[in-house]
Amino acid sequence: MTPAALSRSRALGWAAWLAAAILILALPWPAFARTPADRVIRVEGRRFEYAPGTVAVNMGDRVTLELVATDVVHGLHLDGYNLTLTAEPGQTARLTFVADRPGTFRFRCSTTCGPLHPFMIGQLTVGTNDFFWRAAGLIGLAALAAVWGLRR
Amino acid sequence: MTRETLARLILGGLLAGALGLSLAAYGLARRDVIEIHGRMAEAGGWTPAALDATVGQPLRLRLVADDVVHGFAVGQMDWPAINLLPGRPVETMLTFDRPGRYTFYCTRWCGLGHWRMRGVIEVAGPGAAAAPAGPPLYVQLGLDLDAPRPASAAPLPEGRPSASRGAALAVEVPELGEPRGESPAAVWQALRAQAANESFDDAELWEAVAWLWRSQTTPAALAEGERLYAANCAACHGEAGAGDGVFAPELAHPAEHTQMGAGHQTQAPTAFTDPAGMLGVSPAVLHGKLIRGGMGTGMPAWGPVFTDAQAWALIDYLWTFQFDYAASP
Repeated sequence: MTPAALSRSRALGWAAWLAAAILILALPWPAFARTPADRVIRVEGRRFEYAPGTVAVNMGDRVTLELVATDVVHGLHLDGYNLTLTAEPGQTARLTFVADRPGTFRFRCSTTCGPLHPFMIGQLTVGTNDFFWRAAGLIGLAALAAVWGLRR
Repeated sequence: MTRETLARLILGGLLAGALGLSLAAYGLARRDVIEIHGRMAEAGGWTPAALDATVGQPLRLRLVADDVVHGFAVGQMDWPAINLLPGRPVETMLTFDRPGRYTFYCTRWCGLGHWRMRGVIEVAGPGAAAAPAGPPLYVQLGLDLDAPRPASAAPLPEGRPSASRGAALAVEVPELGEPRGESPAAVWQALRAQAANESFDDAELWEAVAWLWRSQTTPAALAEGERLYAANCAACHGEAGAGDGVFAPELAHPAEHTQMGAGHQTQAPTAFTDPAGMLGVSPAVLHGKLIRGGMGTGMPAWGPVFTDAQAWALIDYLWTFQFDYAASP
């Protein structure tokens, strides 16, 4: 192969890597195509934790949160959505909202429930963590491209 | 003494006097305010838990919740309960019209020992004490609250008998004694014993019993009972009366007490939805257990807390777990 042909095939190769990178960044994610569902999520609050501590829903779901306090009065304030629930033992609190904001949000106890009350925290994830998976894909692609670049 | 020293002394004296006077006035204004701290029962409950008051003299209280959300109310009085949030002290003033021994108690569930969070106010002074309206019904009827009461004498109904269907049946009702002293199963048997009721099958007679039970209460009493049940009973007996409240697992296994500490005798809360357990029991027995407490079962004594009307409203509401009181079947 002549040097000119070699450099041309190399340039073509880099162009192919670049195209793959753009694809990874811009390809629509299949999660967005999922049909919204009704979900009832029961969260038990006890001193000083939520069970389950992490909740995941899909974008667009109608989520009904049920807060059950199992020892003292607990609350739940969901950051990002700005929703607050307060439940007393024996009186389940319910709240319905549409998960229309993607991302990861904290929920925290909003009623003082003892010394470790500030650490009573849980997490709601809405949709897949798109950014993370695209970044992981790009890193993998960069590693492959580096190997390919060193080969010659 | 130079003039300067004199001036300094006068100025200092005036400042100290102004400060002292205002502090003295503040102390004088607040000398009769009693500060009560509320903690979970395991951590000490109310401190102080015993107060003295005089008829007609206002009792000024400053209420402080130290750990979790509590509430403050005086039993058998219709004063609104005061919510106590940690970090938000509340000042209140109580004035008693009659001498006597009053119970104050926590109104918000603050752990398994919530109901142990009680205190006493001794009110002295002239006038007649708030006299009880006679002994409670179970004492008048001479009932033994702790005797077993199986409903097996009558065939149990399937599902919840409808009071509205029972009302339409024109069942022959025999003369009954004290209506709240009879169990549903006993009333059912009395109906079955009537020759005129032979054409009705067992399920129809249960509907008639449901109708008789509904006719002893009012929608207002049921609504009040529902509110009282949710606030005071549901944490153990369950929101739907099935004995599956959030504290039920721990009550059922007293050896593993983590919240109350070992040595407390408890048992699983009664399921009001269980016909075999409920239909053999009269309202008078339920009322007695409510006001007396469960004696070693973990059931608190609500007698000093509820008024008679509140206790009966609560008992009336309990029967909705057995009977369908809805207006249309």
